[in-house]
Amino acid sequence: MMRKILKNEWTVKIGSAVIALAAFCMLWQAVTVFTGMGDFLPGPAETFAEFFRRFVKPYGKAVLPMHMWSSLRRILIGYTVASAVAIVLGIVMGTYRIADAIVMPLFNIIRPIPPVAWIPLAILWFGIGDASKYFLVFLATFLSVLQNAYAGARSADPVLVGAARMLGANDGFIFRTITLPCAVPYIFSGLQNGLTAAWGQVVASEMIRSSAGVGWIIIRGMDNNDILQELVGILTIGIIGFILAASMRGVEAKLCRWTTRGK
Amino acid sequence: MEKNSDLKFKVISCCSVIGFIAVWYLCTDILQLTTDITLPGPVKVLHTFIDKFTNKSPDGGTLLQHMWSSLRVALSGYAMGIIIGVPLGILMAWYRPVDLLARPVFDFVKAIPGLAWAPLLIILLGIGFMSKAVTIFVAALTPCVLNAYAGVKQTREVHMWVARTFGATRRQMLFKVAIPTALPHIMTGIRVALGSAWMSIVAAELIASSSGLGYMIQQCRGIYRPDVIIVGMLMIGFIGSVLTWIIGIIERAVVKGQTHDA
Repeated sequence: MMRKILKNEWTVKIGSAVIALAAFCMLWQAVTVFTGMGDFLPGPAETFAEFFRRFVKPYGKAVLPMHMWSSLRRILIGYTVASAVAIVLGIVMGTYRIADAIVMPLFNIIRPIPPVAWIPLAILWFGIGDASKYFLVFLATFLSVLQNAYAGARSADPVLVGAARMLGANDGFIFRTITLPCAVPYIFSGLQNGLTAAWGQVVASEMIRSSAGVGWIIIRGMDNNDILQELVGILTIGIIGFILAASMRGVEAKLCRWTTRGK
Repeated sequence: MEKNSDLKFKVISCCSVIGFIAVWYLCTDILQLTTDITLPGPVKVLHTFIDKFTNKSPDGGTLLQHMWSSLRVALSGYAMGIIIGVPLGILMAWYRPVDLLARPVFDFVKAIPGLAWAPLLIILLGIGFMSKAVTIFVAALTPCVLNAYAGVKQTREVHMWVARTFGATRRQMLFKVAIPTALPHIMTGIRVALGSAWMSIVAAELIASSSGLGYMIQQCRGIYRPDVIIVGMLMIGFIGSVLTWIIGIIERAVVKGQTHDA
């Protein structure tokens, strides 16, 4: 019975999503066909056709999948390294007060500066190549994951920690059985925010200085006054951003089945 | 004892900041490990900071002029984002048809960083106030909608039943039960939106503009003046903190007697 209702619920949701997206595209098409906007705004049919055509016809030097790969490589490398460093540092800061006292004030100075504001300095330091993009993605991810990992480690109930210690548990045991399970849901929400921030950062840094990638596509479209290229670029950015966020949610749902936050 | 150790950690924190600046000073001004075109020393940055209040070179505006220019655009886009975003989120949560139809479109749009709209808007609206304000609007819209939506959605059904038992109309239920329940979430959305609005204005100015703090640091990259860049970054961070602080005060005044999680 329950399953049947759930199934129906899903049918309604997916059905309405399809209808909504179709209605949106039809509205867009109608605007371009029946009003003067069609003179400069391409319709959805044209945009989707162009999107697939660009899989073989290059933008600049590379076809669309290669641009996607340039951006994805930048985000994956910077994001992975930053997550690992930030989780370890965040937990250490949340567990040992001395580390907290040393790092926190410096972190508080850097935190309010939006990661995009580092772009000019990063270009001066690391050049216009991939190194500066890795640094920028690292920074964007690091800021958001560190805050969450820290809050997570701090959320461990001190009474539990005290009780475990009284019963003779050592630091490693307390970490494995209390601190880490408390911190994991926080860390995941940090990883989720970090991924969004990192994706925005990749696009921004490619828009400002690069020779390949999805951000490059839209900025070059702007330079050429090519609205079709803009729309294909935005569509690509949206699809990749959507897939990244959805896969992160999938991983979280799998790994954190035991928490209420991991839904 | 507790107080003593608090003091100890405060002292360590101060030492950490002082130590950081000392290492910076040591590496730049004394050991000369870096040059002025990669990383200037703290003294030089401080000097530039004071100088920049009155000096228009090298980018055609004083610090305060750039600041005002960025704030004006950011706050107008941000205000529009709140005015449209919060009611939209409430509508989406309250009326199921709106939810079913608007949400899929919205889910896709939110995967696009607000900044990605900037080039398209620049083509359509030109480089100027409008294209940037609309970019900020798009960036601020998403968190407002999402949080207002989540806030209304988490209204307890029991509260609704009570309202209905006492003969409340749908309208009263919305305004007397659902929206007050959602208020802490709505304020959280407004706070988050501020961060993304401020970030987007800096980014939009990096891409195309003729004034503003983002423009200032981008210009100074071209002419190798990292001292001005660092001043600009610190200023951006400082204004961001002040704005967050103001929103925090409003939030505490509006959301009375409720503890919310950040």
